[in-house]
Amino acid sequence: MSDSSNLQNQIQNEVFELAKSINNVVGQFRDIQRPLAESQAKVPKATRQLDKINEQTEAATQRMLDMIEQIQAREEATIDGLSHLRPQIEGKDMTHFRDLIDRLIEHANHNLDDTYTLVDNLQFQDITAQQMNHAAWLLEDIENKLRRILTVMQGYDDQGEDNDRHRERVFDPNADLVTKRTAQEDIDNLFSPKDES
Amino acid sequence: MHDIKILAVDDSPTMRRIIINTLRRAGYNDIKEATDGKDALAKMKIDNYDFIITDWNMPEMDGLTFVHTLRATEEYKTLPILMVTTRSVKDDIVQALKAGVNNYIVKPFTPDTLKQKIEQILAD
Repeated sequence: MSDSSNLQNQIQNEVFELAKSINNVVGQFRDIQRPLAESQAKVPKATRQLDKINEQTEAATQRMLDMIEQIQAREEATIDGLSHLRPQIEGKDMTHFRDLIDRLIEHANHNLDDTYTLVDNLQFQDITAQQMNHAAWLLEDIENKLRRILTVMQGYDDQGEDNDRHRERVFDPNADLVTKRTAQEDIDNLFSPKDES
Repeated sequence: MHDIKILAVDDSPTMRRIIINTLRRAGYNDIKEATDGKDALAKMKIDNYDFIITDWNMPEMDGLTFVHTLRATEEYKTLPILMVTTRSVKDDIVQALKAGVNNYIVKPFTPDTLKQKIEQILAD
């Protein structure tokens, strides 16, 4: 067999192997296309669930605040009423009733203090809402990337970030209920530096 | 009772109610709300406020932009502003300081901290 004939055979074999490899890759692309498309389709469901959790915890927190404010109003009215009553039994042999009034005022004040603690703890809702918005944003980012991969795999031009979809979400990516990066004392020092002279 | 008019700016309805509840407990009763910087500016055109409490992360106009806008306006150059936000990274706090906030609290806050910061700012 001549050299050129050998070369031709080699080239043909290489081209054949190349075509086989390309077919394999195309086949693999097709195999992953479906799961990618399914994953991309599930992301909006996940973000809707997160948004739903936010809406429902917000609504529940508002209802709790309604009840707390009603309790506060009643306790304040109780304290007010008892405080007005107390002077009317001064000077008489009513020690027992004065003591009772004092105890009732004390109970009402304790109840009020407890409602204030409840209110303070409801701050969790704002912080967890931001955390969930962050999670939803990350999912939408994944969805956009998957969509761009699928676009390219299907042979279309990737429009880049111009076609990316993001619901407008506002959040602090570092929002945390427990850990604060900078302690209040350090913040205070920034605003009122201690005199180091 | 304290005789000052406060504007509480936060996109979270829950947080606005908590701030108002805390302020009422501390003796501040004249408190109005806004949902973000843009809403706050609109309300400030209608009414005068003695004190602003603002969040940072808000739609339409965030808290930092709101503070910059206020400080760039002659009328609001010395208006007391307290930022109350989840942002606790030092760079953010420095940004807020440079923008012109009078003080800064990180959420979740305690009622005593909120009360103290307001009193400190008003005393300055």
